[in-house]
Amino acid sequence: MAVGGDGKMTEENLIEVRGVTKTFGGYLAVDNLSMDVRRGEIVVLLGQTGAGKSTVLNLIMGTICPNSGQIRVAGFDPYASFKALKGRLAVSFQTDRLLPWRTAVENVELGLLILGKSRSQARAHAREWLARVRLKDADDKYVHELSGGMRQRVSLARALAIDPEIVFLDESFSQLDHVTSRTLRRDFLQIAREFHKTCLLITHRIDDALEMADRALVLSPPAKVALEVCISDEARTNPHKIADLHAQIASAMGGESQIEH
Amino acid sequence: MALDADRTSDEEGRAAAAIIKPLAGAIVAAKNPEGRRDFFATCVVVILLLVAMEITSRFVPDYIMPSPVAVWSAARELFFSDPYHVAVTLVRLAISVTIAMVAGVVIGLAMGIFPSARPYLKAIVVIDTGIPALSWMLIAVFWFKNPESRIFFILLVILLPFYALNVYEGVRALPKELVDMIESFRPSRWQVLRYLILPHIVAYIFLTTKSVIGYAIRMVIFAELVASAVGIGARMNLAQSTFRIDQVLAWTFFLVILNLLLQAFVNGLERISLKWRSEATVR
Repeated sequence: MAVGGDGKMTEENLIEVRGVTKTFGGYLAVDNLSMDVRRGEIVVLLGQTGAGKSTVLNLIMGTICPNSGQIRVAGFDPYASFKALKGRLAVSFQTDRLLPWRTAVENVELGLLILGKSRSQARAHAREWLARVRLKDADDKYVHELSGGMRQRVSLARALAIDPEIVFLDESFSQLDHVTSRTLRRDFLQIAREFHKTCLLITHRIDDALEMADRALVLSPPAKVALEVCISDEARTNPHKIADLHAQIASAMGGESQIEH
Repeated sequence: MALDADRTSDEEGRAAAAIIKPLAGAIVAAKNPEGRRDFFATCVVVILLLVAMEITSRFVPDYIMPSPVAVWSAARELFFSDPYHVAVTLVRLAISVTIAMVAGVVIGLAMGIFPSARPYLKAIVVIDTGIPALSWMLIAVFWFKNPESRIFFILLVILLPFYALNVYEGVRALPKELVDMIESFRPSRWQVLRYLILPHIVAYIFLTTKSVIGYAIRMVIFAELVASAVGIGARMNLAQSTFRIDQVLAWTFFLVILNLLLQAFVNGLERISLKWRSEATVR
């Protein structure tokens, strides 16, 4: 598949970015970026710090406006039609961003209440999602009573509970220890596959991409696609192919390959 | 059935304990060593003051410094004769603080949420903070005939800036991360207010109430003294004009105790409302 796409908007693509440029003052953060994400696909945006990953995510979420180019998310311009995407997108951030005055279950039901669900419906649904992320017994705990991994699980449950078409993960596993991060990645992947979610993940960790992505886009500053690789399940089970992909990605990111064992 | 009744009674007991425990904890010595030290020090200071009063009363006339026993007798007398005045003052205090709180919170929120209105509201609040309480009292006497209106007006204009400025600071202190998080769900402005801003400023409202409660008591007494014929302030005025310094001192001690009780009450409410906060201790 061509990196930049063909400039046409297709129904198959849930996210389409065409020739987008973004500057902050005189600083060029995104330079003529084009990319797309198909329905049900898990795409990882990789890049070192300062590569413009978060800016791209903010553009796609519609929280900032591009200087030029076009972005379509589920058929809408995410900036101009910000409210039209209510309930269709959800984000899990690098830090858990839980509201400390709400319990775990109350945090999960937040998005549902904003979507207009009744309190009882939202509560029941939130409990289901907490169970799915293996936090059944932590419903009524406040944020300060939860570990870092548990908080991130609550954050994931909060994002997934609204049943969004597209889930954004912004370095969601990067602040966790190795074991917790791996467990959480696997749990998320299982849920994303089960519920056919379209996912766009932002990370600087190659292993996250190799484990989770159908496709990985490596960004180099100022947010240009330097490399695009497809990662099949077959490749994931082949250590040689994984090592080769790892080396390719690391090279595109401007570093050396260090495979996580 | 009996089990249900037991369970209900247990639950009621737990609910009552949740309210009473923090109050009792603040009145009776706290369990931690620092609380015990504070309580002990307060008792020592009170005893020393009483001893000083007793000694002074033996060397000066009664109308300058009565003995603690005389003040105690006056307090007992007032306890039976003036509960109505105490109730009036407490109701005035409760209503005034509530009105000032609501108005201050609304203005503080408007300052935080509407940037175009902020400079104007801020100017009003800052000018208000510069006007002496005494000026407001005298103005209130000119502007309002009804004593209740005078007192509510005085307390409103004096306490409002504290709430408005603190709530405004609370809105400004909202972590951007949380704002971005809730915005990612694309909520209405009302939903942002309800789910994020209002719960966040509760701590600031309690902080302000704890800071102003003593001041509010002083102001309501002063306002009663200037603008009303009923209430503790009015009774203190009467005691002063009839040379009953024992009653003035009895009212003064009562007001000190009232302040402590109200502080404990607000602390108890705060602990219940902000139970989600983890208590950090610094060694």
